[in-house]
Amino acid sequence: MAWKILIVEDDIEAASYMVQGLRQEGHVVDVAHDGREGLFHASSGLFDAIILDRMMPGMEGLSVLRALRAAGTTTPVLILSALATVDERIMGLEVGADDYLVKPFAFGELVARISALMRRQRENIGTIDTRIVVGDLEIDCLKRTVQRRNQPIDLQPREYKLLEFLARNAGRVVTRTMLIERVWDYHFDPGTNVVDVHISRLRRKIDAGFEIPLLSTVRGAGYRLSAGA
Amino acid sequence: MRLPRIPTIVRIAALAMLLVLCSNLALLAFIHMRTHNDRLTPLRQQMVADARALSYVYSSGGEPKLTAAVHDMLSVDGNRMAIGIFDRQWAPQAGNLVLPVDLPADRPGAFLITTIHLKDGQQGEGALIISDLGRRGWLVSGRLFGEQITLQRAIERSLALSLFLSVLFGIVCALILTHFVRRRVAQIGLAVDRFGHGDLALRAPVEGSGDVFDRLAVRINAMLDRIVTLMTELRMLTDSLAHDLRSPVARLRARIEHVMAAGVNADSEAALDGILSEADALMRILTTVLEIGRYEALSSRDQFNWIDAGELLDELADLYGPLIDEAGMSLTVTRNGPLLPIFGHRQLLAQALSNLIDNAITYGGAGGAIALFAEPNEDGQCIGVADRGPGIAPELIGHALSRFGRLDEARQPTGAGLGLTLVQAIAHLHNGKLELGDARPGLRAALRMPMSSGPMRPARLPPARDPKSADLAMDGAAGR
Repeated sequence: MAWKILIVEDDIEAASYMVQGLRQEGHVVDVAHDGREGLFHASSGLFDAIILDRMMPGMEGLSVLRALRAAGTTTPVLILSALATVDERIMGLEVGADDYLVKPFAFGELVARISALMRRQRENIGTIDTRIVVGDLEIDCLKRTVQRRNQPIDLQPREYKLLEFLARNAGRVVTRTMLIERVWDYHFDPGTNVVDVHISRLRRKIDAGFEIPLLSTVRGAGYRLSAGA
Repeated sequence: MRLPRIPTIVRIAALAMLLVLCSNLALLAFIHMRTHNDRLTPLRQQMVADARALSYVYSSGGEPKLTAAVHDMLSVDGNRMAIGIFDRQWAPQAGNLVLPVDLPADRPGAFLITTIHLKDGQQGEGALIISDLGRRGWLVSGRLFGEQITLQRAIERSLALSLFLSVLFGIVCALILTHFVRRRVAQIGLAVDRFGHGDLALRAPVEGSGDVFDRLAVRINAMLDRIVTLMTELRMLTDSLAHDLRSPVARLRARIEHVMAAGVNADSEAALDGILSEADALMRILTTVLEIGRYEALSSRDQFNWIDAGELLDELADLYGPLIDEAGMSLTVTRNGPLLPIFGHRQLLAQALSNLIDNAITYGGAGGAIALFAEPNEDGQCIGVADRGPGIAPELIGHALSRFGRLDEARQPTGAGLGLTLVQAIAHLHNGKLELGDARPGLRAALRMPMSSGPMRPARLPPARDPKSADLAMDGAAGR
């Protein structure tokens, strides 16, 4: 599925790197090299997502975002900034960003996050699935029960949350930081691989005893839940 | 010997009182000097002369001459003079004076001031002299005071009253003065205090009178402006530093990823992977340094909210539980006593505790047990992490808290020794402090949080937020 993405970034090399990568993935990309130009393009409402730098000549990224939100533009915005402290991230989200990614970033992380944004955007427009099916795994989001091949799987509340998030992003890579942010609501980097242990426990519960594993580790990027993992 | 130092406010009060007292005393003394004696002395001389003259008349002419002389004198100046002739038993013989009750009969020649009653019913204040007439009896002569002398006497009595009043007013005046001084100084002090606690927009009030307090306030405000400027500059500097360091590393990362995507052999890929994680580690250190600087500068207090300490620990236990479990250790959460809500930054407190838990796993792992605890103490509450590892020797605690302070290079393969410094900065942001102590055995790292004073302390906390929709949950609405 092709998205139309606006990149607002004053660093020409960083911008062209993103443009190249996203176009290779088959998306349509426009670039603005300063804040004012970015605001002008973004206000058109023609984009599926906006990648917004913060420290730019002309107009600061957060001011662009404020102006956009004040004008009623609801296009998902991912802030991509060198301002990495926890309070800056929180501020970005408070102003109305849908996600906040810190430079330097892995390209895979950027794609995973935009992908998750697109999925959430669809959910916001349509109805949220109350039943998610990934291969032979079924999740009932109302009862919060999980079964695989009609065998119920008993999960701890946090394990369920983790699985539901992975399932809603089925087929897409989900990074460790995304999980920390979305499942635990922490915007700092815990450093140690706390998430890995949670994932391996979840994997033991949903994949043990089945010949086709659903939950796979994507090296250097994160995890993916998919029917054909 | 040194005198004890007297507080300035007491000195001001004493001085004010003294000034009021001195000026009043000077006035009183002046009035007293001007009114006292200058009328009474000639009167007294006159009276003594009168008495001598009458005594002489008696000794030369006997009783008839005296009676005649008295009669003459009274007819000339009857309204003012009081003369009485008494026998040895003080029975009146002649004259217009009614014998005063309080006359000291045994003191001839005495000059006394008393209320004089005349036979015609007139009375008033006056002075009397007693003269001994020998065998015949006593002569009491004197004069009623005129209006001026009566006035002077009244003034003298009033002076005593005003002396008392001036002491009283001196005290009142001193109290009022110190109240004003104290109030203005307190206003300035309050502004400086609140600035110190991170309210950077606050300035000392300037009333516009241009007095010494205004000038002091203006100077303090200039200093606060300068601090804000420096802090803003520092922030801009660190932000630019972050930007300028991050952008090249971001490009470096991008190029490595590009090369890896193009396909390289396994050895090169492992090497490039290593470079990527080194770049990430570098950025983590940079971020931590910036965060420490920020929180020590008391930035981001606007993101404070009411949080429940117990809940905070439960959430962290939930995150770290499996990791600690897999490492063969046990994790407990203990709440000792009732906990009050904390007005703070949930993310940063969680980050601080997560750093402490990381430390406990890395250095205290051998002890096999990690405890998250929250307990009330005399001035607020403590939240923290205790392990059963080797702990930190008391003399090394200061070093452990210093920036880039590693205790033992060999024990800490990764990280730059910024973890505890960051925790300490977060504690300072919350007006608290990080205390490292002995858990007997092991290390007990506690965030000592003072009683929170935030906007509208909630009776109880709002229900826990759903993390899925919690991205924007720092909206300051919780707790209302």
